[in-house]
Amino acid sequence: MSIQGQSAPGPKESSPSPSAGQNAAGQNAAGQNAAGQAAAAFPQLRKAVVVGGNRIPFARTGGAYTKSSNQDMLTAALDGLIARFGLQDERIGEVAAGAVLKHSRDFNLTREAVLGSALSAETPAYDLQQACATGLETVLGLANKIRLGQIDSAIAGGVDSASDAPIAVSEGLREVLLDLNRAKTLPQRLQALSRLRPKDLAPDAPNTGEPRTGLSMGEHQALTTAQWKITREAQDELACNSHRNLAAAYDAGFFDDLLTPYRGLRKDANLRPDTSLEKLATLKPVFGKNLGSEATMTAGNSTPLTDGASTVLLASEEWADAHDLPKLATVVDGEAAAVDFVHGKDGLLMAPAFAVPRLLARNGLTLEDIDFFEIHEAFAGTVLSTLAAWEDEEFGRTRLGLDGAFGIIDRSKLNVNGSSLAAGHPFAATGGRIVATLAKMLHARGQVDGRPARGLISICAAGGQGVVAILEAH
Amino acid sequence: MTASQPVILGEMPSLSKLYVNAAATAARRRVLGTHTGTELPECSHEVRGVQADVANLTAYQHLIGETASDVLPAGFIHALAFPLAMSVMNRDDFPLPLLGMIHLSNKVVQSAPVRFTEALDIRTRVENLRGHRAGTQLDVVAEVREAGDGAIRWLGVSSYLAKGVFLPGIDKPSAPSVPAAFTAPDPTALWQLGVDTGRAYAAVSGDFNPIHLSVLTAKALGMRRSIAHGMYLASRALADVGAAKGDAFSWDVSFEAPVFLPARVALDISTAQDGDGAWQRSDYAAWSPHSGRKHFSGSVAAL
Repeated sequence: MSIQGQSAPGPKESSPSPSAGQNAAGQNAAGQNAAGQAAAAFPQLRKAVVVGGNRIPFARTGGAYTKSSNQDMLTAALDGLIARFGLQDERIGEVAAGAVLKHSRDFNLTREAVLGSALSAETPAYDLQQACATGLETVLGLANKIRLGQIDSAIAGGVDSASDAPIAVSEGLREVLLDLNRAKTLPQRLQALSRLRPKDLAPDAPNTGEPRTGLSMGEHQALTTAQWKITREAQDELACNSHRNLAAAYDAGFFDDLLTPYRGLRKDANLRPDTSLEKLATLKPVFGKNLGSEATMTAGNSTPLTDGASTVLLASEEWADAHDLPKLATVVDGEAAAVDFVHGKDGLLMAPAFAVPRLLARNGLTLEDIDFFEIHEAFAGTVLSTLAAWEDEEFGRTRLGLDGAFGIIDRSKLNVNGSSLAAGHPFAATGGRIVATLAKMLHARGQVDGRPARGLISICAAGGQGVVAILEAH
Repeated sequence: MTASQPVILGEMPSLSKLYVNAAATAARRRVLGTHTGTELPECSHEVRGVQADVANLTAYQHLIGETASDVLPAGFIHALAFPLAMSVMNRDDFPLPLLGMIHLSNKVVQSAPVRFTEALDIRTRVENLRGHRAGTQLDVVAEVREAGDGAIRWLGVSSYLAKGVFLPGIDKPSAPSVPAAFTAPDPTALWQLGVDTGRAYAAVSGDFNPIHLSVLTAKALGMRRSIAHGMYLASRALADVGAAKGDAFSWDVSFEAPVFLPARVALDISTAQDGDGAWQRSDYAAWSPHSGRKHFSGSVAAL
């Protein structure tokens, strides 16, 4: 499928054929026109800015936050944000957050966290869930509401606990319990109970497998990593850089105004400042061991299960000025994509490889116009496979509908303050971590060649999805 | 194909009674040493006005991985017609032992969707008795029409082998076909099949063949462990192909090494599209990630 074909309505537009690719390239220009017309048709669209962010340090599963619930952690991150920006008793336009591993009782997780926070109880909230893209999608949705003038301020966020994960009862027990609840007479109840078998009492623990394939995310990535011929050494190097960059950022005090300590943690528990290529090389592969090619993915170049929460304060320029708050960066644009991974047409985590070219084209930009790349490190192999696809002539022509390769990024601009391999990845909290981090970096950089510094965020997600966004220094 | 009038049965026969009767027939033939000839019965069996049970349909769809829509999955119709197919093979004039027959392959042509609310006329017959290097094989044909005199909506042809049975006058194929060497590709899916997989399929299909139910019942019939039902595996592969196949398609499967339970089964589904990107066919193959042996393969194709 071609990148533009993906966004076109008709099923025939998603054709892989070269002729359709040409059509799609034509639509690319049309898409830019449409965006231009949209801007002209809505001249009153205003800016949505990132005021700042706050998160709690990320803990490894079974670590400092083992007994903390999603609501506990989200409230902790929220309260730190409120304290930092003086939002006590403030009625915020809307708060949106979510969790990927979510108890059914947490149907109103974000509203409950707001009620438990120092914000005005008249602040509305909603939950959102888009796997690992949850956090970034809350930022984009709320920024759009601000741009449209529907709200003046917003808090985006996300939280996840792999420690306090929900465990379901078996299907057999669940059906018996539901039938028991519906039964009106004693014989009906007894009949329902009589269907119970000993094996029904075993709980149904959550698993990381994709529902349609049964392969875990790591196994899916192992297929993609092998397909793009990403070496073990390249993955370990990326992981090593992530730890070094994050450690250096902590040492420089970069996170002092982005973090609130929680449960005794002051830094991300997964961070290994003293890790090295030699140490990473000693780890045994954990994914892709049954594939024909060599297994290259280890616990060192894959993100561990993590607990944590993050929040981002968004506002209109007027609201930020009226509250005497900083304006770090502008949320410029965002794009979601999905790939047909089920039968292996594309890798599970490769949707950003399609989303980024579409987003940049719509904004008249190329990779060279980006000053900071924040590519979420689900696995080192994910980042490297995405970069390899962008550098590939064939992929650029046949899949992206371009004349050749999409482009090469300057590695010195990639995840310069570390990313998920070092910090950890509490699924829904990663988007907020990245947006706040990037906004601060952009603000510090200010202008580049007479234009605002520009950053790109790319986050892959389960279900073959991806969400990407552009931020600019304000 | 026979021109004779079908035998109309008043209702769908009971599979459990058929299995018991088949066991009794097998015992009687062993004791008396009788056999009933070398030709297949010419008559077909028919049941009219068959309707699917919606609760059973939902349970089947959930087990197989289909969305619980109102359209009967092609494998569900196979299960619906199966007792009637068995009843033809259970006739006294059927020349092969029913118990222990091996399902070699299956082909279905679904020319139009069937909804659970529709009453169906189902007709089955046996044909094409022929030699196999390991015994004797035949085809069981099932036709499903809308009640009344409609066109065939669903046509199924199941090929079975009576292993070690050689009937006089039926030649073995001279050159045994050598299966092509199989090299496992990268999987697109991995199935974890628990030891209760056979029982779960029996509950939704009604096919309580002992070789699928438990280790003990399977051992009683000479298997070392219970095996997954072939139509369960093929129906899951069909569900995995997904909605692209549309309402009208052909679906075939060839079974190779049985899947002893519990098991991990790796699967590859590859899809072919035409120049406009429209789905044409999906080919699937399943194998053991442990031994690399192929369990089954087949395809789903647009009509």
